[in-house]
Amino acid sequence: MPGFLERIAGKLKSYREPGYYTKLDHKWTMVIDLDKCNGCEACVVACYAENNLPVVGKEQCEKSRAFSWLRIERYVEGEYPDVKVKFIPVMCQHCMKAPCETGCPVYATYHNQDGLNVQVYNRCVGTFTCATYCTYDVRRFNWFTYKWPKPLEAQLNPDVSVREMGVMEKCTFCIQRIRSAKDTAKDEARPVKDGDIKPACSQSCPTGAIYFGDMQDPESVVAKLAKSPRRYRLLEELNADPSVIYLKRVMGDGTSSHE
Amino acid sequence: MKRRDFLKFIGIGGVGAGAGFVLGKVSKPPGAKLIPYLIPPEDIVPGVATWYASVCTLCGAGCGTLVRVMEGRAKKVEGNPGHPVNRGGLCALGQSSVQALYNPDRITKPLKRKGPRGSGEYAEITWDEALKTLAGNLTELKSKNESEKLHLLASPLGGTIDRLAGEFVSAFGSSNYSHYGLFQRKNLAFANLSAMGTASVPHYDIENTKYLLSFGADFASTWVSPVNYSNGYGKMRQGAGERGKLVQVEPRLSLTGASADEWVPAKPGTEALLALAIANTIVEKGLARDASAWRGVLSRYKAKDAASVCDVSVERIEAMAVEFARTRPSLAIAGDSVSSYENGVSGAIAVNILNQVAGNIGIIGGVMPNGDDLGNGKKIDFGRKISTLISAANAGKIKTLIVYGANPVFTTPKAARLEEALSKVPFIASFSSFMDETTAHADIILPAHTSLEDWGDDFPDPGVAAPVASLIQPVVGPVFDTKSLGDIFIELAKAVGGNVAGKINAPNFAEYLKASWKGLYSRNREMAAGTLGFEDFWNKALQRGGWWGPSRKRTATVSARAGEHLAGTPARFEGEEAQYPFYLIPYAQTAYMDGRGANLPWLQELPDPMTSVVWGTWVEINPKTAASLGLKEGDMVNIESPFGKISAPVYLYPGIRPDTVAVPIGQGHSHYGRYAKGRGANPIEILPFKEDPLSGEAALNSTRVRITRGATGERMVKMEGSTKELGRGIVQTVSPSEFKRMKKEVV
Amino acid sequence: MAPHHMSDNQTGNAISYKEVNDDVVRTMTETGKWYYIALAGAFSGFLAFWILPWAYQIYKGQGVSGLNTPDFWGIYLTNFVFWIGISHSGTLLSAILFITKTPWRRSIYRSAEAMTFFSVATAAVFIFVHMGRPWNFYWTMPYPNQRQLWLNFQSPLMFDVFAISTYATSSMIFLYFGSIPDLAAVRDRVTGWRKQVYSALALGWRGTDSEWHWLFKAYTFFAVFIIPLAVSVHSIVSWDFALSKVPGLAKTIFAPYFVVGAIYSGSAGIVTLMIIFRKAMKIEKYITLNHFDKLGMLLLVMSLLWSYINVIEVFTGWYANTSAENETLIYRMFTTPYAYMFWLMIVTNTILPLLFIFKKCRTSILACLVVSLGINVGMWLERYLILTTSLPRKFLPYMWHDYIPSWVEISMTLGSFCFFAMLFLLFVKLWPSVSIYEVKEDIGIPMRRGGGHH
Ligand code: SF4
Ligand code: SF4
Ligand code: SF4
Repeated sequence: MPGFLERIAGKLKSYREPGYYTKLDHKWTMVIDLDKCNGCEACVVACYAENNLPVVGKEQCEKSRAFSWLRIERYVEGEYPDVKVKFIPVMCQHCMKAPCETGCPVYATYHNQDGLNVQVYNRCVGTFTCATYCTYDVRRFNWFTYKWPKPLEAQLNPDVSVREMGVMEKCTFCIQRIRSAKDTAKDEARPVKDGDIKPACSQSCPTGAIYFGDMQDPESVVAKLAKSPRRYRLLEELNADPSVIYLKRVMGDGTSSHE
Repeated sequence: MKRRDFLKFIGIGGVGAGAGFVLGKVSKPPGAKLIPYLIPPEDIVPGVATWYASVCTLCGAGCGTLVRVMEGRAKKVEGNPGHPVNRGGLCALGQSSVQALYNPDRITKPLKRKGPRGSGEYAEITWDEALKTLAGNLTELKSKNESEKLHLLASPLGGTIDRLAGEFVSAFGSSNYSHYGLFQRKNLAFANLSAMGTASVPHYDIENTKYLLSFGADFASTWVSPVNYSNGYGKMRQGAGERGKLVQVEPRLSLTGASADEWVPAKPGTEALLALAIANTIVEKGLARDASAWRGVLSRYKAKDAASVCDVSVERIEAMAVEFARTRPSLAIAGDSVSSYENGVSGAIAVNILNQVAGNIGIIGGVMPNGDDLGNGKKIDFGRKISTLISAANAGKIKTLIVYGANPVFTTPKAARLEEALSKVPFIASFSSFMDETTAHADIILPAHTSLEDWGDDFPDPGVAAPVASLIQPVVGPVFDTKSLGDIFIELAKAVGGNVAGKINAPNFAEYLKASWKGLYSRNREMAAGTLGFEDFWNKALQRGGWWGPSRKRTATVSARAGEHLAGTPARFEGEEAQYPFYLIPYAQTAYMDGRGANLPWLQELPDPMTSVVWGTWVEINPKTAASLGLKEGDMVNIESPFGKISAPVYLYPGIRPDTVAVPIGQGHSHYGRYAKGRGANPIEILPFKEDPLSGEAALNSTRVRITRGATGERMVKMEGSTKELGRGIVQTVSPSEFKRMKKEVV
Repeated sequence: MAPHHMSDNQTGNAISYKEVNDDVVRTMTETGKWYYIALAGAFSGFLAFWILPWAYQIYKGQGVSGLNTPDFWGIYLTNFVFWIGISHSGTLLSAILFITKTPWRRSIYRSAEAMTFFSVATAAVFIFVHMGRPWNFYWTMPYPNQRQLWLNFQSPLMFDVFAISTYATSSMIFLYFGSIPDLAAVRDRVTGWRKQVYSALALGWRGTDSEWHWLFKAYTFFAVFIIPLAVSVHSIVSWDFALSKVPGLAKTIFAPYFVVGAIYSGSAGIVTLMIIFRKAMKIEKYITLNHFDKLGMLLLVMSLLWSYINVIEVFTGWYANTSAENETLIYRMFTTPYAYMFWLMIVTNTILPLLFIFKKCRTSILACLVVSLGINVGMWLERYLILTTSLPRKFLPYMWHDYIPSWVEISMTLGSFCFFAMLFLLFVKLWPSVSIYEVKEDIGIPMRRGGGHH
């Protein structure tokens, strides 16, 4: 057989190996401990700062077009004085069976070899399908061209891509930080170590509620935390297989009533 | 070098290539004097980030920061993982300091007033002219022998710049240098002075405590040292040891209260009594560890008497007392719901007594008193109140007023008539970088750098039960035509001449600072250890962000002397209950704090964590109360106190007592840039002008209000759709007892 | 169905072949003042209500619409589905009726087919209107490119692109094939530039036996081909929604629901159009009450089917009894303003069409007009409700947010009707809008071989 045919045959064979389609280089995972999170929203600002999220103003906020890739959802139960308030940071869950990915006609959103759900801004034509299909409402759309008044634009992070009007965007797990950590590791001829990467939200969190790491590394903090009995995932019944794992908040029978 | 260091080291390559051209005014930092966090850059490498260690100065906590700089521009401010105060975290306000640096509404040049005072009409002048004008004014004062009539009013500064400012004023011949801020927490300091001998906030070891009884300390948001406490909180909840419990006593469920296991909505003004009743119950039940001095005083505060006054049941008081005393270690902290009253000092003392009785002082997981290890802490002069300044101005005792950092026009009630007093001051100079409400009254403005452009140092107060000295270094060149605050004083001293120039003779503030640190270094053996002389120490300190020593455990006893200041009665509120049925709780909002964050767009758009409201003010009303008043969410209402009225939209808030309403502080600016101006309302306006007579701290919770309809104003915009989880299992929980049975994850 | 000649109806005996030719060609050559006014009105409406706001939207961004997070789909897609629905019955009906050899089809099918084509065109424009970057629309086409970018064939939107372009092409060809003999007839009666144009369009048609034979073959082929196509197109459109996980959209019944809905609204559209058309063009002779009777029956059947599926849809949501489904249903059925729309839709689509049980109503032009207009309004509301009551109530209640259309969206909705009217007005002038040769068949004398009427 000529060489190139052999190569093709080899390739075809490898496609049939078990696990070929689910094999990843990494599986970046976030673990958020809801028992630590106190809802301070430092992470939200960190995400704004890191990812050049525009500020849209009051009128646009009223139309629910704020850009926060990461939001702290707050739920309230009960009436005075037995009020319970719960917080949960929600960003893109980087679903392994992402509903958003099936929607996009042009592959602007797809799964990469790191297990990330990535958004290719330049490929996006703005059909909104991904955002509609996303079960976590984390996608944000560039409704207009957003500009900072001078000199605020000096703050913009040059490491993240510019998004133009008409494209969809969302939390990237701070892919620029992942990339740079990989570059560094490559320069030093070593694999990426657990803890090399800290997304902006995780870095800033005063309570240390957000952990990040590679699920495929059994020694990583996230892999260990993922085994916690408190583990759950958001809307797990929808079977999107999210990569963000939450640890349940401890609350309940300690709260005695007013009387 | 740790793993993170690689990030700092390399910056992030690739994408930024091609930048580095046209840097304009935002050019490279004075590299020679700066030491980056890790390696010095050979020059500015396009696309490669350099990290500089510095200190966040947006609030008084003194969190260490790392600033990411690329092509001479500050990109991001992050917490310094090595810094003992914040250990890597940084709050929302601190992260926004880049937006203060690059704020489009900064004062870009020295200004001279054109129109009438307060009109905001100014003409640009040169630095020479500005310094000459101010120096001329000062020399005139001196020549008329009226040196004493110079007043300097600054925010609660600390460290070397504070010393320089103090030296300047005293060399000029005046003794009038005062600090003012809305949340100085002087009550805590005063209580500690009378109890433990130092006028500072101790270190609350939240990390190791197992039972945290917080009297309205909203440390998740802005209280005292939020990042330090939040870090401790995270470890208390899910750290190595057993999970600690948080109980929050406050009339309005704060952000911290939202995370509490129990919420005790005691009646406003009675929290101190509750604390004393708990303490007494501990004593009565024989659970006290050290009550010798307090038995007599406490016996007056019986749980059953307190119960009806505080609106907390006897059983609950007893249960709290038992749990507080039995859980080891436990910790009570005196937050705003006990110390923001007219007799706030008394409240803070009550909490000290509670800690003392339970034996929580000087133990791990309890109160750890801070000493002024480096001799450089903030010095609080309790006699210098804003009221003293106002009466001095009214009496014509102030001829020249220099303001920096403080914004009393915004943060004092209308009832204080501060503006009227200012109008009697012939000459006002401001060193502020922003056109805030006070600066708008200035005759001349000499804009100082923001902290990312300036040199400085910080000795965190409260400390962390260890000596800490942090350094602030300029991470970027000046964005506008502003000057270092220290340099303004130094140049002014030169221009005034005479003994002022003689006393302050440093070439510039950077040198002054270094000399000051040299002194520190020579006095302190710990600092000197392991360094090759001062230069080496200095470079290392610049690189790490400062110097910090090992933790020290101190102990103290709350002396019986403290009891002198114990009022033992509920705090007073202005306004008759019949006419003004609701207590008003103005509180520091997470993002705006005392209003200083309102000009930063990220913070305006940050949904308030408890209400999700953005870009505005709101008034929190219990849904039941609202229903009885016929109000629904979003209705504009007037909030009227005997001292004035503001209007705000209603937010239905189940976490507030039905007899209480709460309004966040921070909005309602009449100046302060495009993002802040003309937005929302300022609840401070309608407060009575009351200070704690001992400490001088403003009494925020001191009036009742009534709510009336018929107001007009901006709509309320909130980000939340619904607050109901509808059984969808979004935030899942386990009960504490279930949790105890669970296997702990080992990380 | 047995061949059936309309011998005793109002058309039958009174008209001659010549008259047919004259009448139809007259609609094309003689142009009254009102026609121009109508055309000018439609054209300026199209410009003012559609093109200008659209240009504004392209310049400023999608933000000028009322879309928001999470209501990313609003009126634009409502209109898209609505117009696709309208398009449905034209060609589909024509094809089905052709295959089943229903004689009353003849005088209406041409304009029905045209309607299909125009509404597909209108719908297609709405795809571009709703896109964030419409200038990149060609990225949704599979074309070889240097960067080796390929399309996501899993995406129901991709199915859409293929389905709709196929559908538009086929219905255009179907329309054209059927018109060739008539174009030839027109060619023979006009002069000047018209002659040139129609000569070209008629492809040299001479009317020989073999020509008739081949035409008929091709026509039949297309008729057979287009029926499954039409069904699949609307199924695919429904999958845009049904393949999501959104409560209220993720329904397995959506494909038949949409197909039925499409035929339903399409037939109603035809009825409305016929009424206007026969009045305006004074061709009551060709579009008779008999036609309305038959269409009325069709509407009645469709209404029953549609109502059944609608009940099932609500029932399954209710039966599932998940919080997400319940909230969506409550929002749709009992929350203002959507409750008004929902119950209005029930009235117009389920209750009013029951009038068609009575022949009297089926043959009353007024009743037909009222009911068909009602159905169209109702069907538009149905599409509107599907999107605007599902997306605002997705899974995370914190993100719930209502959708309020902006003036731009409302204007473009109006504009789309103007656009459609404009195309139709142009059509009646430029194309024989009633099939000349087939109407002649009705008159009785067979004139071609290979037809089915012997
Ligand atoms: S920064 Fe941390 S504690 Fe604060 S809201 Fe975010 S996750 Fe929660
Ligand atoms: S959370 Fe939403 S955007 Fe992110 S991967 Fe899942 S479906 Fe896609
Ligand atoms: S991982 Fe990065 S992009 Fe995602 S929420 Fe956190 S900071 Fe934002």
